Amino acid sequence: MEGSRIKGKLIRGKKVDIFVDGKKITAYEGETIASALIAAGIRTLNYSSKEHHPRSLYCGIGLCYNCIMTVDGVPNIKTCQTVVKDGSIVQTQKGLGDLEVKA
Amino acid sequence: MKHIEMVIIGAGPAGISAAIEAAKSGMKVTVLDENAKTGGRIFSQLNEGLKFNDPKAHSSDFKKGTKLLTEFLANSHNINFLSNAQVIGIFPNRELAYHQNGKLFRIRYKGLIIATGAFERSVPFPGWTLPGVFTAGGTQTLIKMQGILPGKKFLLAGTGPLQLVLANQIIEAGGEVEAILEAGKTGSWYETMRAIWGNWNLLVDGLRYLNGIRKAKVPILRNHLILKASGDGQVEKAVFSKCDQDWKPIESTSQTIEVDTICLGYGFVPSVDLSRLAGCEHQFEARLGGWIPVRDTTMMTSVPHVYSVGDGSGVAGNIVAGLEGRIAGIAAAQSFGYLSQKAAKQQQSPFLNALRKLTRFRKYLDNMSVPRPGLYELANDKTLICRCEEINLRTIKKAIQEVKPENINELKRTTRAGMGHCQHKMCGHALQEIMAAQLGINPSEVGAIRPRPPIKPVPLGVFEDLERL
Repeated sequence: MEGSRIKGKLIRGKKVDIFVDGKKITAYEGETIASALIAAGIRTLNYSSKEHHPRSLYCGIGLCYNCIMTVDGVPNIKTCQTVVKDGSIVQTQKGLGDLEVKA
Repeated sequence: MKHIEMVIIGAGPAGISAAIEAAKSGMKVTVLDENAKTGGRIFSQLNEGLKFNDPKAHSSDFKKGTKLLTEFLANSHNINFLSNAQVIGIFPNRELAYHQNGKLFRIRYKGLIIATGAFERSVPFPGWTLPGVFTAGGTQTLIKMQGILPGKKFLLAGTGPLQLVLANQIIEAGGEVEAILEAGKTGSWYETMRAIWGNWNLLVDGLRYLNGIRKAKVPILRNHLILKASGDGQVEKAVFSKCDQDWKPIESTSQTIEVDTICLGYGFVPSVDLSRLAGCEHQFEARLGGWIPVRDTTMMTSVPHVYSVGDGSGVAGNIVAGLEGRIAGIAAAQSFGYLSQKAAKQQQSPFLNALRKLTRFRKYLDNMSVPRPGLYELANDKTLICRCEEINLRTIKKAIQEVKPENINELKRTTRAGMGHCQHKMCGHALQEIMAAQLGINPSEVGAIRPRPPIKPVPLGVFEDLERL
C-alpha cells in the first residue's frame, strides 16, 4: 500500500464504487480511475504487449499511454484522464487488449 | 467544414492571453483545448466533484490563473471555447482536424496561434518503466489536482528548482523524501530560487519550500544522477551516484537506497508536432528544450498568419508564455484589420519590454539545466528506449550500425521506435541524442521526427462518417 489520499487538502464529493478485476474499490467523484487505484494501493494498470512488463501511470497528463486499461469493455483507455463512474468495470489490460464486438 | 478567421490551439497561459488580446480588439476567435477546462497545466482546474478545502492555501499560481481566467471570461462574447477538442492534424490549405467526444471536425482557418506548451523530458535508464517511477509533473498533478500521494518513500532525480517545489509538496502531504538528486551544479539557494524561470511568483512561495525541505532534513545532492531502479513488479530500490560536469556517472561512488517511488524531473520539451505539420520552419535549440519554430518579434512563424507562443516555442515558463500570447494576439488582430498598425505597436510595447527584461535572466537558468550528454548514456543494451513499441538500446544501436540510417526518420522506420501510442513524445529526444552520439555528430544533424496525423491516438470509429466533414 504505497498510495494514499492526502488528508485535508481536498473536499471529496460523492462516493462511487468501481470494480477492478472483479474487486470493489471505493472512489470519489472527480477522481480519475488511475488515482483511485493508486490510492487503493494498486500500481500495475496493464502489462506491456511484447515483454509483458507491468506498467503504471507515468506522465500523469495523458501523453505516455502507460496507464491504459480496459474500461467497460473498451481497451486502451487512459485512466489518468478518465474520471470514475459509479459501477464502472475496469480490467488490468494485457498487451493490446481485446475489443468486445457487439453483434 | 467550418470556416473560422482565427483559431487558437491550447488554453494555457499563452493561448488564453492571445485570445484575450485578439478578442479585445473585436476579433472573434475560436480556442480549442484537449482538456475539459481552461488553464493548461500550470493553471489547471479541479475536476467536477473535487473542491479545495482551504481556498486561502492556494498557491500564487492558482491566484494568477484565476485572474487570467476572469479576463478571458470578460471577453467571452468574442471567444468560442471548445473543450475536449484534440487537434489531430494540420493539413495543406490551412485546414485542421480535431477530435471531440468521439467525432471528427474540420476547420479552415485564416490565422492560427499555436500554444500547445511543453511536456516533460523522459530519460531512459535501467528500470525506468517500473511501476512507481513517475514524472515529477505527473506526481505534482496527482498531489495538486487529485489529492493523491502516490507513494511513501520518495527519491527525486532530475535538475532544476522545480524539484524543490515537488519535494515540499510531498513532505506537506505526509510523504518522506529520502533525497533530491540534482544532476547539475546549482549555485546558492538564493540563485536557485531566483532561477525559477518564469515563475517569479514562486519566489514568494520559495522560502516556504526551503523551510519545509530543511525542516524535514532532506539531503539535496548536487552533481548526482539516478542510475537504476529495481524491484519485483514495482520500485523497491534505486541506485545513484555522483556525476561529472558532463553528467557522466562516477560509478565508484554509487550507492543503493530503498524507496518505493521515484520522481523524474529533467526539464521540458516543446510540443512542436502541430507547428511542424503547419509547415513552419524549425531550428534546434538545446537550451530551449529542443526543436522550436523560427519566429519574428510578433511571434509569427515562417508561415504567414501562423503564430507560435509559449513553452511550445521554447521552454520559458508561464510569464513569458503570457507575454508572447498577448503580443501574438495583438499582431493577429492587426493583420486582419481589427487594429491599426499604430494601435498595435502601442499595445504591444509594454509586453515586448517586459519580455526583453526577462530574457536577461535566461542564460543563468539555461546553463544550469540543459541536459548534458552523459544523461543519455545511462541505458544498457536491454533498457527500453521506446516504451510503447518496446524497442531496446541494442536494437537501436544495431540498426544504426547495420542499416546506417541517414536521419532519425529512417531510424524510426527501421526499428519502429517512436511509432507507438505516445507518438515519440517519450522517446523522440532520447532517440535523437542516442543516434547523434552513436554517429559522433551534433543532435540537430539527425533531424526531427516527422509528426503524422493523427498526432494523438483516436478511436477508429471517428473516421466512420468522413463524408460529413
